[in-house]
Amino acid sequence: MTQSSDIAVEVVDLAKNYGPVRALNSVSFSIEGGRYYALLGPSGGGKTTLLRLIGGFLRPSAGSVYLHGQDVSHLPPDRRPTSMVFQNYALFPHMTVERNVAYGLKLLKAPPGEIRDKVERMLGMVGLEGYNRRMPHELSGGQQQRVQLARSLVLERDILLLDEPLASLDAKLRKDMCLELKRIQEKVGITFIHVTHNQEEALTVADRIAIIADGELVEEGTARDIYETPRMRFTAEFIGDNNVLDGVVADISDGRATVDLGFARVDVAAHGLPAARGDAVALSVRSELLRIVGSGQDPEASWQLIPATYVEAIYLGLTISHLVRLPDGTEIVARVISGERSEEEFEPGSEVTMGWPGDRARLHVA
Amino acid sequence: MSSGAISGPARAGGGRDIPAPAARWRDYLGENGVQKWVFYIPVVFFLLFFAAPMALTVVWSVFERTQFWMEPGFTLFAYDNFFSSARAENYLFSMLHGAASVVIAFAIGFPIAVFIRRRVTRVAQHRVILLFILPFMISELVRVFAMRPVLGRHGIVNSLLMELGVISEPITVILYSPLGVIIGDVMSFLPFMIFAGFLALEAVQNYIFEVCDDLGTGRVRLFTHIILPLAAPGIFAGSVFIFVNSLGVALVPTLLGGPGAVNAGLIANQAIVALDFPLAMAISTIMIVTLVALLYIGHRLFDLTKVLEPIS
Repeated sequence: MTQSSDIAVEVVDLAKNYGPVRALNSVSFSIEGGRYYALLGPSGGGKTTLLRLIGGFLRPSAGSVYLHGQDVSHLPPDRRPTSMVFQNYALFPHMTVERNVAYGLKLLKAPPGEIRDKVERMLGMVGLEGYNRRMPHELSGGQQQRVQLARSLVLERDILLLDEPLASLDAKLRKDMCLELKRIQEKVGITFIHVTHNQEEALTVADRIAIIADGELVEEGTARDIYETPRMRFTAEFIGDNNVLDGVVADISDGRATVDLGFARVDVAAHGLPAARGDAVALSVRSELLRIVGSGQDPEASWQLIPATYVEAIYLGLTISHLVRLPDGTEIVARVISGERSEEEFEPGSEVTMGWPGDRARLHVA
Repeated sequence: MSSGAISGPARAGGGRDIPAPAARWRDYLGENGVQKWVFYIPVVFFLLFFAAPMALTVVWSVFERTQFWMEPGFTLFAYDNFFSSARAENYLFSMLHGAASVVIAFAIGFPIAVFIRRRVTRVAQHRVILLFILPFMISELVRVFAMRPVLGRHGIVNSLLMELGVISEPITVILYSPLGVIIGDVMSFLPFMIFAGFLALEAVQNYIFEVCDDLGTGRVRLFTHIILPLAAPGIFAGSVFIFVNSLGVALVPTLLGGPGAVNAGLIANQAIVALDFPLAMAISTIMIVTLVALLYIGHRLFDLTKVLEPIS
């Protein structure tokens, strides 16, 4: 359990077919040791398949899995330096908490005294001291997942795989468990790979996030990069609450592009993207950066402005979403914190001007 | 009047005045009418068809025997008759047969159950299980009788083995013998073991097997540490079914056992044929006591209330 900075997981051209169905389509990437890594994407996108290939529960149709530089593609799960935490119902129902956690060590024929110490220490780490004699059916969902975590960690393998570990918990508990997982990962220092379809969960726990959809690795980066500067249109649509506008490149020069939205022209940073005049592109603006430019306000010159028709306000507690319709019919959302800014009221149907700081929109060529 | 009552509810929605008979009809069906009593039907059923016959069996076993029936009284003559004759010995022997049938049915049936749960695709599992129900569509008499041309001196088994040169003389110990009875019991009641075993394993989540792969449990320990304990209540339930049937179904020893072959059911039958009703009732009472003792042991071992509880 040492903090290591070498490559813990490397996946090369990994593919998996289920009969004629392609679940994973030639994915390559690597994960540094000691990181908390999240595989995020919609259901059925192939992220669980990828995790199971890394863990050895599935055999790849093509490609290889290297763990710490060693090709493990054809090794069974127990011969890999990985351990899996499953979604739910994965505790041995006929064993106490203590026996569940101890079982893996018993199989390894560890001395009983050592087993007892390690189990005790692990139960302490996951916050379940004194639960030794409980049966799984006497535990809550969150407690069951903690026991699973202890059962995997006690093996001291250095890559922990978590397959939607919090999916069956309610929202509040999921939030607490996210922080708990993060804390435990920092404490043990091993690599965690966490599969989830919940972006909030991924952003909370992960150092780095990979977006997986339709059997492809869409984009990979730090949690902050993925949220604030998504490269791909899919990422922008999937993460956060982005407004995605379609347009055509009208002009490109000095690393800035002018995009024709059909009803307005806006200026956006091109970040060296391979876009040429006439290309169909998209740009995304996060809803919390979009503002309704009220009358009497004088936006800075760098602000990009587009006309719209006000539709309605939706009160969401922490935030208020202002829904407006663009001249081409698409509806976009501007979010403000409730009570923070002057809560202007707009008449549905009234003409408004929407704007965002010039450097905050993202251009997507794919 | 009754036609009004039936069409009443249909009219009730739009009708401005609901006919009185319809309203009363609905009162009878309502929460204070039939609905209130419908829950007691199972209780009545249980008392009438289950508890009462058992109680009568025990009571009748101590009645005095008359020429054609029996009369109220209290005598343990029937029990004395049972325990002082060869019947007690036959009863024990029949329990031994039953135990042997259970063991063989487990050895054959439980692996089938494990195979269906582990190796058959989820959607096909219940269809495969259904296949094992098919024999029950055939009259048991026919099914057991059909074993004769299979197991007989010139039966399929012997002809085949002789044809293959495995044996030179027909095996005669497999029909009209105690072994024949065991074979018949196993063939007749094997599906109970498969059903009960499968149902117990069906409740085990797939994740459990994957965790075992992850921990490196291995095949043997997967069976002894995980599958067997998790399926134990189901195996016990299947075993009780088979044991009780091989004790009680008189057909099998009659058709396959040859002269002198008996089980508890056949002893009771013979007593009835001899018009010794108290004796038949005493034998039945002893069977009930045997079964209750068995269930008690099972309950102490596996906590049978858990059988019906979802796992985890």
